[in-house]
Amino acid sequence: MSRFFRSVSDSESDSESSDNESFISDEELSSDEGEQSDEEQENQEEQPKKSRFLKGAETDSDEESDEEFGRKRQVKSALDKRLDEMNSSIKAIENGQKNNDWNLISTEFDKLTASVNKATSGFDAIPIPKFYIKTIVEIENMLQEAPKEKGGNKKKGGAAAKGLNNTKQKMRKITKQYEQLIAEYKKDPEAFMVEKEEKPEIPTPKKADTQKGAVGTATVDESELDGFTSVGKGGKTVVPITADNIFVKLREVMESRGKKNTDRDEQIGTLEKLIEAADTPFQKILVLLALIPSRFDTNLSMAEHMQTDVWKKVEAEVSLLLSIVEKEQQFVIREDADELDHDDKDIVPEKGQVINIRGSIISLVERLDDEFTKSLQSIDPHTTDYIDRLRDEPTLYAVLVRAQSYIEKHNMLENLPRIIIRRLDHLYYKPEQVIQSTETMAKSMLPDYITSNVITAEEPSQLIHQLCTYLYKQSASVLRTRAMLCHIYHYALHRHFHTARDMLLMSHLQDSIHQADISTQILYNRTVVQIGLCAFRDGLIKEAHACLQEIQGSGRVKELLAQGVQAQRYGQQTSPELEQLERQRQLPFHMHINLELLECVFLTCSMLLEIPAQAQAGPNNKRTISRPFRRLLDYNERQAFAGPPENTRDHIMSAAKALASGEWERARDYILAIKIWNLMPETQAIKDMLVSKIQEEGLRTYLFTYASYYSTLGLAQLATMFDLPVARVSAIVSKLIWNEELSASLDQVSQSVVLHRVEPSRLQVLSLQFAEKAANLVDQNERLLTTGRDRQ
Amino acid sequence: MATSLPASEPLNAVQLDGLVVLKIIKHCRESYPNDVTGQLLGLDEKGTLEVTNCFPFPSDCDENASAQYQLDMMRCLRAVNVDNNTVGWYRSAHLGNFVDSNLIDTQYSYQKSLSAHSAVIIHDVSKSAAQGNLSLRAFRLTDAFMKQYESKKFTTESLAKAKLSFSTIFEELPIQVHNSHLVTLMLHNIEMPKLDASRLRSPATFAQHTELDDAKPLSPNFDVLDLELDPFMQKNLEYLLDCSDVQQQELNNYQYWQRSVAREQTKMQAWLTKRRQENQIRVEKGQQPLPEDEVNTLFKLPTEPSRLDNMILTAQMHNFTKQLNQFAGPSLARLYSIQELQK
Repeated sequence: MSRFFRSVSDSESDSESSDNESFISDEELSSDEGEQSDEEQENQEEQPKKSRFLKGAETDSDEESDEEFGRKRQVKSALDKRLDEMNSSIKAIENGQKNNDWNLISTEFDKLTASVNKATSGFDAIPIPKFYIKTIVEIENMLQEAPKEKGGNKKKGGAAAKGLNNTKQKMRKITKQYEQLIAEYKKDPEAFMVEKEEKPEIPTPKKADTQKGAVGTATVDESELDGFTSVGKGGKTVVPITADNIFVKLREVMESRGKKNTDRDEQIGTLEKLIEAADTPFQKILVLLALIPSRFDTNLSMAEHMQTDVWKKVEAEVSLLLSIVEKEQQFVIREDADELDHDDKDIVPEKGQVINIRGSIISLVERLDDEFTKSLQSIDPHTTDYIDRLRDEPTLYAVLVRAQSYIEKHNMLENLPRIIIRRLDHLYYKPEQVIQSTETMAKSMLPDYITSNVITAEEPSQLIHQLCTYLYKQSASVLRTRAMLCHIYHYALHRHFHTARDMLLMSHLQDSIHQADISTQILYNRTVVQIGLCAFRDGLIKEAHACLQEIQGSGRVKELLAQGVQAQRYGQQTSPELEQLERQRQLPFHMHINLELLECVFLTCSMLLEIPAQAQAGPNNKRTISRPFRRLLDYNERQAFAGPPENTRDHIMSAAKALASGEWERARDYILAIKIWNLMPETQAIKDMLVSKIQEEGLRTYLFTYASYYSTLGLAQLATMFDLPVARVSAIVSKLIWNEELSASLDQVSQSVVLHRVEPSRLQVLSLQFAEKAANLVDQNERLLTTGRDRQ
Repeated sequence: MATSLPASEPLNAVQLDGLVVLKIIKHCRESYPNDVTGQLLGLDEKGTLEVTNCFPFPSDCDENASAQYQLDMMRCLRAVNVDNNTVGWYRSAHLGNFVDSNLIDTQYSYQKSLSAHSAVIIHDVSKSAAQGNLSLRAFRLTDAFMKQYESKKFTTESLAKAKLSFSTIFEELPIQVHNSHLVTLMLHNIEMPKLDASRLRSPATFAQHTELDDAKPLSPNFDVLDLELDPFMQKNLEYLLDCSDVQQQELNNYQYWQRSVAREQTKMQAWLTKRRQENQIRVEKGQQPLPEDEVNTLFKLPTEPSRLDNMILTAQMHNFTKQLNQFAGPSLARLYSIQELQK
């Protein structure tokens, strides 16, 4: 544009400069103009083509030409100034290069870049000056040589080194920006510079004097313009795609793949056309093998997920690919195949001939799976989008099954476990009915000939069992560990507490899990939690508490189960990279274990264990079974006004307090009022279990708390109080007596508990105290000793 | 005041005159349950510390008056020509709770300024009463401890070097009670029945055993057979509990020190590595490396807390536990024998 403007002034100055002389009061302007007009006259001769753009402008603004002229002149001089600036910067840089003064180079280069940026952007943009590219390349070369002169540099001290580093960093950025131009320059500096020389010439007519000799600038200019378009668009679109030139096209696309500035969408478009054109299986396979990865390529960042429609396309293409290779059994896609050299010709296999094509089905399928998980991670789980997305899971699962059968058929055993673990990952957390439906849906989507020899089971539990046992036989320990955990999880989910627990204990995973990778650790945590929930459902309160305590007691449940990023604590800053990683580890929502339910179960277990224990040990004991529960209870008790319970936690706390004072009925009502039990399968059974537990623990608590006020207690009375059968009460009391938790005896004749008051003598109290103190002392001493030894 | 000659022979026994023993017992018992002290007078000779006299210190005056009293007393004693050479001191105690810094301090000054052969006699009033046995023990500070105490350095290292432990603070000396022949004679005389010479001739009188028994002034003491265990054990345990509390505190202090040392050391280490890296760069540049020993001026390790208190406490606890042990054996024997008798 600027060129055109200048030309305007050129032509005008010719005709009008003399006429308008009288109007221009400004001395400067006129004198400037005088010079200008001389040069521009010459310019005009050189650039006949330019002026033709400007004819309109000329005729339009005859009247205002004066004003406009002034304005335009200003624009022009600004440009001139800029170019002058650039030139001076370049000179300074050259000087700097000679003197090895990196500080100077750095600052000057900054200036240059700034002015180039200004000049090449905005309304009056000029193409990137070639001398700029040249300078870049020169500096780059300098930089490469710089380390060799390190010794010299060192003497110069910090400033120069800093300058050097600064330039290095800037160069890295800038070279990326102008990669193409630089490459062009490097290819043929001479030719590039021919163009380059005329570049500054056009905007600065002053220089034109000296370079009068340069001929045909305009033509060069044009050709250069052409050159730019050809790089950008390419001539492919013109050539129609036919079955014959598919391979040529394909190779073209493949060659440009992964390069900078290749338009991926366009490539995909091309490939899509290619797949339409392809008619032989070989062509199809090859094109698909190129198309699927390039679809994956469109989404470069790891954080973002693939668009759903794109994903569906990929899924369809993978299925297509699989169906082709299933039908055309003479083509086999293998990872270890050699690169096929087919000279861009179609290959039609002869009978009995097997053609190995290099490619990896498994990695495509795995990538597809990953993208699916990623999309689930980022879609808000409370929207319908999430459910819609989830509907694609059976399709994906079908692809997995299909890929598995393909891999099996072609005996690529090293890949089989990978696909099986994927399959297991999709199933292990699901209840049997869901597994069943997933299986049937996948079956219905697949053609009949898809069969597997390894996995034959129909029954969901059998299926999981087969998948896991297949993986147990693998040599990779990660797979075995994961399979084991999934298996245990599945058992725990289906209320096989003892099986799950025994498997976990026999695997000895708890000894080595801290060395495993994080996702396996998460799986381990999930499994342990699931076992805890399972124990709870079976009414094994103590076991449930033991399982859940480790996870729930840590206060970082979300993080440990990868179900959400924990809020920042103690103001510590995590780096964005870590957070990114954390986000990638998150489980999709449908795999989550309900955290509120988990907390509710944990607190209920804690209550059923802690309240009797507290009653037994008296008010001053500090030994706690469940610290989080104790903390919550203490907090709750400190409150001046306790309103009616609102959330789950409040309910449990109120129930705990009621239980502690012997009011088991209120405790029961509070616990049953919790709504979240409905999330558990077999809600009623669990509620019944809870009620009976509350009755029993209530009785125990009552006996511990109030035993000292009675000399005898009727069993029948106790039974009515706690709504338990007499036999049950008698059993509980007997157990207490047997465990020496209650000093009493049962009177069979009168059906009553005779309580014995036993108080320790002063001497005994003292002895006990001393025993404890002595143990403490020994402990402390040992600690001192060990730390002291560590230090030395 | 006479000071003993530099002793060639180390002290290996303490000989108490009957008078001294009785005086100590009397003084201590009268003022029970307060702890009282007094001065021992006598002479040390050939490794035996002969204590021939003693006098109590007033318990209720301030220090100046006490010192004045002591001087006056000594002067008076000299005037009446009684032994007036100070050889040590005595104090009363309850159930062996005598090991404290006070005792050590006093004994140290005795051994240091008066005579290296001074000793302290501990009379345990409660123990004597409870077990029916006279409890008199003589102690002196060991030479190693004296040296250590002089330097006031009680670090782990120095203790290890001096091979000092809680059991080697004191050495216990055997006590002999010595009486003049006249007193011995008198005692024997007391033991004999006080019977008329005239009745002695009558054989009939021999039949009256009861009369004879009654006349014996030194009838056997059945305190030893007392079955009551609780007071003694309780008291002991209470003392032990107190001690262990303090001990716990001491340990805490020590632990705190350990931690702070560790902290300082890591800081020092960090500084040193930084300095070394710096130096490496400097050497590469051809500059003089900076000194590394500045670290000692920049950082100061906290001083180790004195182990003396710890040691004293341990010694005290050792005392108590030993006492309990000693008590437990005979008590059990008694209980078993009673059980047999009751069958």
